[in-house]
Amino acid sequence: MSDAGSPTVPSSAAARAAVANAVDCASDRPLAEVKGLVKEFPGIRALDDIALAIRRAEVHGIVGENGAGKSTLMKILSGIEQPSVGSILLDGTPVTITSPHAADRQGIAMIHQELNLVDELSVADNIFLGRERTRWRLVHDGSQHATAHELLKRIGCDIDPRRAVKSLSIAQQQLVEIAKALASHARILIMDEPTAVLSERETAALFELIAQLKRQGVTILYISHHLSEVLAVCDRVTVMRDGRIVRTLDAKAASESELARLMVGRPLGDYYPKRVPATEDVLLRVRDLGSAATPLTLEGVSFEVRRGEILGFAGLIGAGRTEMGEAIVGLRRRNAGTIEVDGRMIAPRSPREAVRHGVAYLSEDRQGRGLTVDMGLTENTTLVSLRRYCRPLISRRAEDAAARGHVERLHIRAGALRRPVRTLSGGNQQKVALAKWLEVEPRVWILDEPTRGVDIGAKREIYDLVGQLAQRGMACVFISSELPELLGVCHRIAVMREGSIAAILDAAQATEEKIMHLAAGVNA
Amino acid sequence: MAIMRFIERLPRWAAPLIALVLLVACTVILEVATKGNSAFLSGQNLFNILRQWSFVGIIAIGMTFVIVLGGIDLSVGSLVGFVGGLGILTLNSINTAPATTAAATTAAEAIAAGRNAPPGSPHGFESLMAAIWNSFGVGDNETAAVLIALAVMLVAGTLAGMLNGTLIAKGRLAPFIATLGGLAAYRSLALAMADGGEYRSSSMRLFGLIGQGGIPIPFTNVAPRAPQPVPLLFPWPVVVFIIVALLGWVLLNRTRYGRYVTAIGCNERAAVYSAINVDRIKILTYTLIGFLSGLAALLLASRMNSVSSAQTGQLYELDVIAAVVIGGTRMRGGSGTIVGTVIGVLILGVIGNMLNLLQVSVYLQGLVKGAIIVAAVLAQRGERM
Repeated sequence: MSDAGSPTVPSSAAARAAVANAVDCASDRPLAEVKGLVKEFPGIRALDDIALAIRRAEVHGIVGENGAGKSTLMKILSGIEQPSVGSILLDGTPVTITSPHAADRQGIAMIHQELNLVDELSVADNIFLGRERTRWRLVHDGSQHATAHELLKRIGCDIDPRRAVKSLSIAQQQLVEIAKALASHARILIMDEPTAVLSERETAALFELIAQLKRQGVTILYISHHLSEVLAVCDRVTVMRDGRIVRTLDAKAASESELARLMVGRPLGDYYPKRVPATEDVLLRVRDLGSAATPLTLEGVSFEVRRGEILGFAGLIGAGRTEMGEAIVGLRRRNAGTIEVDGRMIAPRSPREAVRHGVAYLSEDRQGRGLTVDMGLTENTTLVSLRRYCRPLISRRAEDAAARGHVERLHIRAGALRRPVRTLSGGNQQKVALAKWLEVEPRVWILDEPTRGVDIGAKREIYDLVGQLAQRGMACVFISSELPELLGVCHRIAVMREGSIAAILDAAQATEEKIMHLAAGVNA
Repeated sequence: MAIMRFIERLPRWAAPLIALVLLVACTVILEVATKGNSAFLSGQNLFNILRQWSFVGIIAIGMTFVIVLGGIDLSVGSLVGFVGGLGILTLNSINTAPATTAAATTAAEAIAAGRNAPPGSPHGFESLMAAIWNSFGVGDNETAAVLIALAVMLVAGTLAGMLNGTLIAKGRLAPFIATLGGLAAYRSLALAMADGGEYRSSSMRLFGLIGQGGIPIPFTNVAPRAPQPVPLLFPWPVVVFIIVALLGWVLLNRTRYGRYVTAIGCNERAAVYSAINVDRIKILTYTLIGFLSGLAALLLASRMNSVSSAQTGQLYELDVIAAVVIGGTRMRGGSGTIVGTVIGVLILGVIGNMLNLLQVSVYLQGLVKGAIIVAAVLAQRGERM
């Protein structure tokens, strides 16, 4: 077993021993240990007295809200950051990990949320990047391809190593990253939000792979926002909060609500707001919407949203939910269908025209499209509604007053109003993006992944806000990849598949299984 | 720590301002040390610098908007040459019969200076235009000629800017490429219309008033030995520069347009998603710099009472961009200040003048200018990107 792929993967003696060790789990000594770790950045203590022991061949989950210190801890383990105080022990020996390269030599590999592959190079070239196989000082493609093929087979992946990485799907690219880590004989694999970019099916495949790697003796540190995933895939879970470790639990004995409570540090109460029944009055009616935009064709998308209703949109990544939202507000060209708001036909060609008809679209890409992160909170908040603060020159005082109102209402934790919103946390940035649209009081909201990358506390506040919008008689389209939140927040859920709506379910009768089957196109 | 916080709170233009103050101090000290007095600080000299650089300054205000928007305009220098030439051509075509002997002499001089050119030369253009004006009944009137020429220059600049903006916004051309086209095309037009020669105004006094005159400053006298006191003039181009800078400040900081320019420069995609009419703002911005280039051309043509088809406005684009960059505006857009740009213009002016006064070779001035530009950008790199 420890020799899997070894005939062609010439492993150093140390690595070979490590794998053998890992399989032999008898040893009680933890594989990696962190003691009294402190990391200080100017002005804040990101990590405070961290003590953590990671066992051999375990899948160890790390959870915590944004800013809890998960990423900083992982950056220290993978050599990107240096600790201010404290020590790291591998196999009982203190080590200093001064760079990602040093981490690599110690057998620690990190798979970042944003994958670090070179698009233009082939799969094999990526796997051996920095440690190319050579013969006569030239890169030996044949040997690389053969070894890459072995490695990929080992993780159950059948990609031609000669293919360019850019031609692969995100899930396949992630597998290439994992193969790359294995090629360097990693014994500790750190995965940062690995499922954020994967569809449900790909996620299931990844979990199988994790279990397999574990059997092969690889230790995995698994960081995620998705508590259900963490409980499903991990042996033990460590909860972090405010730069400290709250507790390490056995995953089998822990529940999602317990983890959530530990993360937030207070009881969460009812996670989702109470649903107020919608009216019968249709506010948004979309009929046979079509759009030929690349890479996906929308076809025959029809649905209605009533006043006070929240209509969820579920589907796999690439099912066309974002494309649909963008087509409605004119960010994509429509080639068929009609849109009615309050009985009046509209045909917006840009968000500017959509806003005039009372339709707002909150982008899923908060940093890239939702906000101008280099501008301040005030400037972002009033960007759409700026006309209101012009008399005729912009009144900065009126602007700031309006922004302050939103800060209070939405509990935005921010410093100076005109500091770039880049400095805010994900949740607070999302609230600013919402405030921007609240300013123009749209009747129809299209919210695209409004809780992505947002911590639990802010998530709840966003659910509350959407609930209030509906209660005030607005029609909300709620696009999300998190089924529990769709089931918890929405009245009805539309499931999209390959550019069309597969079905629209009543939230009361829908289950995660039902939605998944519809989304994947499998019969229940 | 307290010092760091203080430095952080300083506006973006603080560094260029300090540089300007140091530069002036150095100039004066060096001068006093070598010659015992300072020619630099004389009112006449300062006004000369200001007037000479106000043309660049006026365009630099427009360029600040363009660069904050995330664009660039390389066509301004050629545009100044072309628009200036077009203006004088218009002027001469209306003001056909020289009203004064002085003007007649000028015209004769002009012909003697090598404009006995074949058809297609200024005379060709001029006579064609004269015929058109005559048909409208506005021939041979100096006042009308000057007024129409001024209008033509402003309109031509504006239209050229609008063309750039449209190519960039609607034609999706990279600003560098679109305006590089303008750089080549307008200079070529200017050269072709004058057949490589010079445009000379036939209005000796009236046309030159704007560029050469100014507001007399009371209680000053630049000619102590003259029978009557000759007051120092606050030159009109400088007045125009100050007004343009003030309006530019208001426009950038206190209007929706200015806010949108900044937003587009920060993140164009987010601006589209935020219901901003990005194309319109882009076209407006290039139109603005086109108008300001026309205005600068007008003042420059009036100041010289002539335009050289090859020289006028030559390499202005570089001085203009340098001023904006020295003033702390971020080259990739999203952030910049009018105050900084004004300081940037002054720094360039002082450097040139200082090197002249200190009798440094003219050929070395570009080296100093280049070093200052690179230093300014290096200094900006300290800030978080």
